[in-house]
Amino acid sequence: MPTVKGDGMRGLAVFISDIRNCKSKEAEIKRINKELANIRSKFKGDKTLDGYQKKKYVCKLLFIFLLGHDIDFGHMEAVNLLSSNRYTEKQIGYLFISVLIGANNDLMKLVIQAIRNDLAGRNPIHITLALQCVANIGSREMAEGLSVDIPKLLVSGDTIDSVKQSAALTLLRLLRSSPDSIPMGEWMSRIIHLLNDQHMGVVTAAASLIENLVKKNPEEYKGCVSLAVSRLSRIVTSSYTDLQDYTYYFVPAPWLSVKLLRLLQNYPPPEDPAVKTRLSECLETILNKAQEPPKSKKVQHSNAKNAVLFEAINLIIHMDSDPNLLVRACNQLGQFLQHRETNLRYLALESMCLLATSEFSHEAVKKHQETVITALKTERDVSVRQRAVDLLYAMCDRTNAEEIVGEMLEYLESADYSIREEMVLKVAILAEKYAVDYTWYVDVILNLIRIAGDYVSEEVWYRVIQIVINRDDVQGYAAKTVFEALQAPACHENMVKVGGYILGEFGNLIAGDPRSGSAVQFQLLHSKYHLCSPATRGLLLSAYIKFINLFPEIKHIIQDVLRSDNNMRNADVELQQRSIEYLQLSSITTADVLATVLEEMPPFPERESSILAKLKKKKPSSVPEGSEQKETTASKIPAVQMSNNVDIAPPTSINLMSQGESSTDDFVDQGSPQGGSASVDLLGLGSPTQPTAPSVGSGGLLDMFDTLTSHSSAPATNGIDLGGLSGGAEEAFRKFICKNNGVLFENDLLQIGVKSEYREDLGRLWVFYGNKTTFQLNAFLVDVSTPGNLSESLSIQQKPVGGEVEAGAQVKQQFNMACVQEFAEAPVMTIQFLYSGAQQKISLKLPVVLNKYITPAEMDANTFFTRWKALNSPSQECQQIIKATSPIDHEQVKAKASGYCVL
Amino acid sequence: MIKAILVFNNHGKPRLSRFYQYYPEDMQQQIVRETFHLVSKRDDNVCNFLEGGTLIGGSDFKIIYRHYATLYFVFCVDSSESELGILDLIQVFVETLDKCFENVCELDLIFHVDKVHYILAELVMGGMVLETNMTEIITRIEEQNKLEKSEAGIAAAPARAVSALKEMNIPQKVKDMKLPDLPSIGNLKF
Repeated sequence: MPTVKGDGMRGLAVFISDIRNCKSKEAEIKRINKELANIRSKFKGDKTLDGYQKKKYVCKLLFIFLLGHDIDFGHMEAVNLLSSNRYTEKQIGYLFISVLIGANNDLMKLVIQAIRNDLAGRNPIHITLALQCVANIGSREMAEGLSVDIPKLLVSGDTIDSVKQSAALTLLRLLRSSPDSIPMGEWMSRIIHLLNDQHMGVVTAAASLIENLVKKNPEEYKGCVSLAVSRLSRIVTSSYTDLQDYTYYFVPAPWLSVKLLRLLQNYPPPEDPAVKTRLSECLETILNKAQEPPKSKKVQHSNAKNAVLFEAINLIIHMDSDPNLLVRACNQLGQFLQHRETNLRYLALESMCLLATSEFSHEAVKKHQETVITALKTERDVSVRQRAVDLLYAMCDRTNAEEIVGEMLEYLESADYSIREEMVLKVAILAEKYAVDYTWYVDVILNLIRIAGDYVSEEVWYRVIQIVINRDDVQGYAAKTVFEALQAPACHENMVKVGGYILGEFGNLIAGDPRSGSAVQFQLLHSKYHLCSPATRGLLLSAYIKFINLFPEIKHIIQDVLRSDNNMRNADVELQQRSIEYLQLSSITTADVLATVLEEMPPFPERESSILAKLKKKKPSSVPEGSEQKETTASKIPAVQMSNNVDIAPPTSINLMSQGESSTDDFVDQGSPQGGSASVDLLGLGSPTQPTAPSVGSGGLLDMFDTLTSHSSAPATNGIDLGGLSGGAEEAFRKFICKNNGVLFENDLLQIGVKSEYREDLGRLWVFYGNKTTFQLNAFLVDVSTPGNLSESLSIQQKPVGGEVEAGAQVKQQFNMACVQEFAEAPVMTIQFLYSGAQQKISLKLPVVLNKYITPAEMDANTFFTRWKALNSPSQECQQIIKATSPIDHEQVKAKASGYCVL
Repeated sequence: MIKAILVFNNHGKPRLSRFYQYYPEDMQQQIVRETFHLVSKRDDNVCNFLEGGTLIGGSDFKIIYRHYATLYFVFCVDSSESELGILDLIQVFVETLDKCFENVCELDLIFHVDKVHYILAELVMGGMVLETNMTEIITRIEEQNKLEKSEAGIAAAPARAVSALKEMNIPQKVKDMKLPDLPSIGNLKF
């Protein structure tokens, strides 16, 4: 048994004890500053520091850093330690660098040089140290500097196992941080064979690397499926004594099994029947083992065993092909739901969420509904309860919706604050999605507002209003229900909003009953008025003017209210304006005009639920794509849906009624002259991206090109794709008609630059994605689509890009394009990534325009005129005379013309 | 991928922090504090997984932790890691520390920050699991120790002789220093 303590560093121990004995933060800082000064002077003055001393000081700096103090010196000394021949000095140097030096440090060049020296040396221990450092920092500069050395180490025959292991993970790190700097080569084809390596550690490391490669390019590494299956099979069928040290608490190689099972989740079920059978056998064996009595009572044994089991279940769910396995998996998870280990209950709920989305097992999952509901009510741990909510949401369908929604509503009254908002969204979505009877839906939403009013976001109450307006059959019921709900002495402001809106529209439907007559309704609403925020008051004023139309008999009461100082002289300009305008409107217009202006709201166009959009934004992973869409009619109107997703800013433009609150552009304006566009605004297309004609640059010729292109791209602008284009993109796109290089798109997160070159029918385009933030952009994905039948005219080949874009880094992607026949539209590329957890989506037209494929032809004057004269049919001539807005600059015109490819 | 490995005590004092994704220094400190805040308010017998705090990346990340006597061992990971696998990895890490330090306690982590980093480097590299076989890990640590001893033997012999005299009773001294009681974390329910 090794002891690493013993030869302690006395100075270090004393220093640490001093710090620990400090009574106050000030004393601690004082002591630290004293020590920093001491170390600084030692580093500066004393050239004869020996390794031991340097090591001691660096350890002290590390300790100070750990306490949260900045270390701004010592870097150079650490770099010097790297070139030492002594292991201990080198080691501490590397440690300091990988903990304290950021990727952008000036010294990085020196560090890389030292690393290269160590990699080239023959000492495996030095090589390992260098690799560790690269893996831990993993900067772009390192990737570029070491792109050849590391793959070589990995596949070379004379590399020892432990170095191979480290090299695999180092390469993985570099591929993640800058995928394009690593040259693809021979090593790639050999890499999957590492799965057969004798050394289990090497296989584990290689499996991680291969999984990363596979994610980018599954086709190329297809061979790894059968290798992984056979390796897995050998592990699963081995007895725990076979693998000796890689057996962990009687479980053979649990980590490697998990890795292999994860790797296989990147592919569909194997095509080769032999491989497929073998894999099924493996999965069955794993499921069988779960039923065997445990070989040890220790928690580590069951942990390791279950880690493999859960991964196997995930693979079964992923393959989604064998009903027998799926049901077994479901039963196994069902057992875990009642296990006494909290961890297993948590994971079982999580995996069952996935299972619920499979058609084979959806019914089987539903059997456990009672257990899940009990979990929701009785679990002590909020993380587990949250998973239970997720599962209930996933397993809900038409048959059990009423029960699940009821249970969730009941739980909501006592739910943890941290999950209330999400629960409200989920309840609202389920209620809408599975409502057979819309009166039930209205009840659910009003209950939501009653129980958890503070957590009901605007989207939820907007949505209930949309639905009530669109469905005649619930309007009367809704009016009655809100009327009753408003009777409560204290009701939430959101309830007042919904109540005001619905009574304003449909109050007449319940006015027949004297208990809810017009005056009663108005008094009820007005009794809440003084308790509300200005925004709600504005909404109520609008409801009042609608009342004037619905119930002429109470006109004078309402006019008195509008006229009161409290409204007409309100400090809030919006309220003042509404009071005055509504009062005027009601006094000067005839009943007919009033009836037209204050007509009932027209139905809202069907579109994706804004609540769903919000939930997606909140938890991108929790909403399985597509599963909801069959329920909503959103897919019928793709243009609208796209404009929802494009928003990079917070989803203000989605909010149906947000305009109504922030401006006078309220729903009553619907019938008024300027209200014509109101329904468009509600779609979130507030200012349609009309192609304006911006005059860019000063060249007169350019204007001509502009008009030219706005004609040629006119069909596209009406189409779906423009609806999805990100702001400002159209203008930037048009600039590329006359140039080949430049910036295509820029916002706070990302800058996208383009370089292109064309020869005859072939074009090559490089797109540079620059991360402008100080965070890594994750799950970076670029997709190119060809609208209409463009794919027949233009073939596009896209080099892979993706994974992550490091903070401040730039990645490059190449597109090769061949023009087959003439085309009018441009391909659309969609860029998606996660920025600090939020999904971002940008759609841009790829600047590929037909004129780029024009090739200038060299010819002498005679040939030219012969050809010129041959062009004599009238349709071959077209002339347009335009007025130059500025003097013609020859140089600039030349540049434009050559950019346009006519020179 | 493992984004960060943090060890702190019951009062939130950091004892080890290792980030495998770049965060600026002050952010690192904030993440430690936030994670402590999230983890420390949980009971001991609830589950070992929870969603990550906002600073480290929100619900796309999981915090997987174990609590041993005075110390929390916390791994922040993304969705590509198996939860139970990481939980076992924490166990391997602690068992390895226990073997290397012979009944490891919080003080060992404080006084041997460098060693703890070296041991961790044998387990996790660039955020990925490097080696899980404890025998193999300990062999590698032993090799390092041997090298260290031999180097110290050649070069620092005179210095060592002097310091050996001075430090004859260092372990005892360390124990004598005024320190709060720190129970060993080694012999806890493995």
